[in-house]
Amino acid sequence: MNARHIGLVAKKELSGLSSEKTIVFAILLQVFIAMFSSFLMVGLTAMYDPEALEGYSTATYGVGYAGADSPLIDEFEKRHDLVLHRMDLSPALAALRERRVAAVIYAPDTPPDAEGPVAITLYLIQNDLQSSVINVKIKEVLQGYERELREVRADRMVSFPVGLNFPDAGNAESFYEFVYGLLLPILVLLPAIISAALIIDLITEEYQRQTLETLLSTPVTFTEMVFGKILACWAIVPVQAGAWILLLGLNGIMVGNAVPILLHVAAAGLFLILLGAATALHYRERTSAQFVFSTAVVVLFLLVMAVPYNPLNLVVRLAVETAGPVHWLILALVTVATALLAGAVAAYGRRVARAPPATAR
Amino acid sequence: MSLASSIRTIAVWEMNRSMTTMGRSVLPLAAGLLALLVLVTAFAAQSGVHMQDGIYRIGIDDPEVARIVTPDSRFTVELADGHTLWNDRFAYDILVLSGEVYAADTDKGRAALTALRRDYDAYVSRVAAAQPDLFAGYPLWIDLEYVRSEIDFLATQSGQQVGAPADTRRPPAPSGPVEAVTPPPATVPVSENDLRQHLAETGSQSPLSRYTGIISSSSATDGLRTPAELSPPLPYDALILVFVFIFPLYFTSQFFMMSVMNERIGRAGEALLSTPVRPAAIVVGKAVPYLAIMLLVSAAITVFIGAPLAILLPLFPVILFFLANALIIGMAARSFKELSFVSIFFSTLATSYLFFPTVFANTHVISIISPLTLVVLQIQGEGFTAVEYIYSTALFFLTSAVLIYAGTVNFREERLFSEKPLTSRLVDFVAGVIGRDHPHLSLFLLSAFTIPFVFMVQMMTLVLFFNIPMPLSLVILTVSAAFIEEVAKSVGLYAIARERPGFLTVKNLLLGAVAIGAGFLVGEKLLLFATLSQITESIFGSVLFLSLQVLWMPLLLHIGGVLITGTFLLVGGRRAYVPGLVVASVVHSLYNLYFLLGGLS
Repeated sequence: MNARHIGLVAKKELSGLSSEKTIVFAILLQVFIAMFSSFLMVGLTAMYDPEALEGYSTATYGVGYAGADSPLIDEFEKRHDLVLHRMDLSPALAALRERRVAAVIYAPDTPPDAEGPVAITLYLIQNDLQSSVINVKIKEVLQGYERELREVRADRMVSFPVGLNFPDAGNAESFYEFVYGLLLPILVLLPAIISAALIIDLITEEYQRQTLETLLSTPVTFTEMVFGKILACWAIVPVQAGAWILLLGLNGIMVGNAVPILLHVAAAGLFLILLGAATALHYRERTSAQFVFSTAVVVLFLLVMAVPYNPLNLVVRLAVETAGPVHWLILALVTVATALLAGAVAAYGRRVARAPPATAR
Repeated sequence: MSLASSIRTIAVWEMNRSMTTMGRSVLPLAAGLLALLVLVTAFAAQSGVHMQDGIYRIGIDDPEVARIVTPDSRFTVELADGHTLWNDRFAYDILVLSGEVYAADTDKGRAALTALRRDYDAYVSRVAAAQPDLFAGYPLWIDLEYVRSEIDFLATQSGQQVGAPADTRRPPAPSGPVEAVTPPPATVPVSENDLRQHLAETGSQSPLSRYTGIISSSSATDGLRTPAELSPPLPYDALILVFVFIFPLYFTSQFFMMSVMNERIGRAGEALLSTPVRPAAIVVGKAVPYLAIMLLVSAAITVFIGAPLAILLPLFPVILFFLANALIIGMAARSFKELSFVSIFFSTLATSYLFFPTVFANTHVISIISPLTLVVLQIQGEGFTAVEYIYSTALFFLTSAVLIYAGTVNFREERLFSEKPLTSRLVDFVAGVIGRDHPHLSLFLLSAFTIPFVFMVQMMTLVLFFNIPMPLSLVILTVSAAFIEEVAKSVGLYAIARERPGFLTVKNLLLGAVAIGAGFLVGEKLLLFATLSQITESIFGSVLFLSLQVLWMPLLLHIGGVLITGTFLLVGGRRAYVPGLVVASVVHSLYNLYFLLGGLS
């Protein structure tokens, strides 16, 4: 194989990508996925009423309370964002329907130390985002009440949980796990998947448009042509992944160990691209190749994710700086597997080149 | 040949051809991969998903406590004596020393604390569930009842407050009639055994069973739950449903897309076009097998997951929409990579459009704009009404019809085999729709029929700009909404100017602008009042669909916008189109902002 020929083919494919502006779609796609994921997290609360975004933290919600006196009332006293109104059940429910209270609680006349359970009825408004907010707040109150009831009935328990004292850090739900544990690995591996789909298009197009012979009449050999295309697809992977890490950093989401992460992405990306190339060489027809390849990728990803210390997990660990040197070992393993696959694709390419494309239309 | 019989001929031919090119080599492997997928899924369910393994470091001095976090693979546990741990305290996100929990004062430390707290709650629940006296472990049971509120969020418009009442110190009194309600019973109407079983079911859930068990949730306990089980009704599970149904649809539409594209490779479809078969028959005939396959696949999935077959009703317009877009993309793409990127991009947009409202399926009326919400509701056993069906599927039926019509009209030699770039081909398609005899009527209809697309795109911008802070997002939304509308209105004019440069005279421009403006307004009104009135009343909606005041003002605005772009086209030629669009959008945005600010103050 001649490196200069491979470089030439790669250059031609890259300029084709930029002149057709298809790469713009690929980048738009990734931006869209990123924005959409953050919408899911942040936008959920804002959908109902944008003003409520800041209102959620300071607003005070009225809760109607009906039924018998119970220690639950004291639990509510501890909250500054929930105000309890003693009401009768019927007017309370009518008020709930008119949204004059945010929830209604009915407590029966069961003593805390009774034989049976304390059965409380909680009324919320259906189809309402505010109910979701209230739900969370009341859940905390009820859990406090549950703890209290457990203490009252402690003499009936046979075993007790180990006690832990948690610091009062507020209940601010952070998106830490979502960003580092899900969004980041998806974002850095998306370019690899896109490139793998791209190599299938590039190879099958030569067959289906019957442009292969023209290309092979130049000094470039078949294998060089294939690897030139692979190189072009591979080159754009770390660039896009690196851009994502930079963008996340600009957004205040610091990603540790950027260089090792990019190495992992590059190795895994090349593996996927080679797999795509092999599928394309086998089928020489886009629909079949894309279909088989995407199904195979789903299987592969499920399998990889089920294994501890998989590359996706390593990307996460590297980003939050808990990886340890073991990731170099995994990287070496993936690299060896990729090199073996590259050898296999080269051998397959030479075999396919000798046999003229008979199956292509 | 009659239309029906030629459609049948084409359909049979298409079926045979795709089976021979695909069938023998792909199907066995696909079946093998599918079997492998089942195996791997089982393996993943067994071993769990190891994506977030070891992201937190926790130091513990008590093996008893360490046992609480061992099942959670997110934690790397270091068990040592308190003194050693304290000396290395900065290496850990969390320290647990003699029952006291210390968390690092970072985002990561707080996230780890939340994770630990959840684990601890689960552990306490496990201990409680093991008690011989169930009601000592679980003394509190909640019966959650939902009340339908008569005031929906249209209320904000009429000055009513939807959020928390302003004065919360005084007990509120209902202003309307009070229905007498019998208080619920003080005892739990479910046997203790059923409750135990319920706890065992919810306690032993593996991470994946949450997804496999969405359809068959047990109702033995009648909605009774412990406080820990109270969770806000946000169905992220809907995401799984989306993939179960949309993924196969996406693939089948890919086959159709490729079949259309194949007709164009090396002018392969020339023979077909030279037969006396009408283009409509070719398009429909080619699409029918794929439509049938998609319906069959959806039905099979429905039966497989044990859902009611009625969910095929809302899926049908989605299938049509996918096919219609596949037709246009297959006709327009220049190369395979363009086909791939455009189709992936389109399907991502479509999937998120389908998915995002579904998130609110149990929380908000807005969710009905996605047909998938109807699927979720049907699976939950709530069903949907005919009005809801029309409301959520109208956009899909309309856009599919328009796209299929545009595809059929343009299914001609000179369009299919030209080598122009994507955008100019699409403009050609638009020009193909404009009739030569009645250009103004065509423009009127064209702009009326762009409305569903404009709404769809604007809904997507609503999604996109949501997470930008409030005043900025409103401004960006206003400007982008104006831009989208101006593009939609002027595209017909642009197409005509390109195809027939002589057409664009002052008189024709004026007439055309009036036709387009009127068409746009009529389409907007029809669709809005028919379907989208709910969304238009929220604050974001009032930005997007502002032009709903008195009739003559939006009409003038629409005509004015087209006139601006048209004048630029007339004076500066096609190169002035983009500047013209920008000027028109600025004027449009200013109009919108003026009314928005007026409306807000």
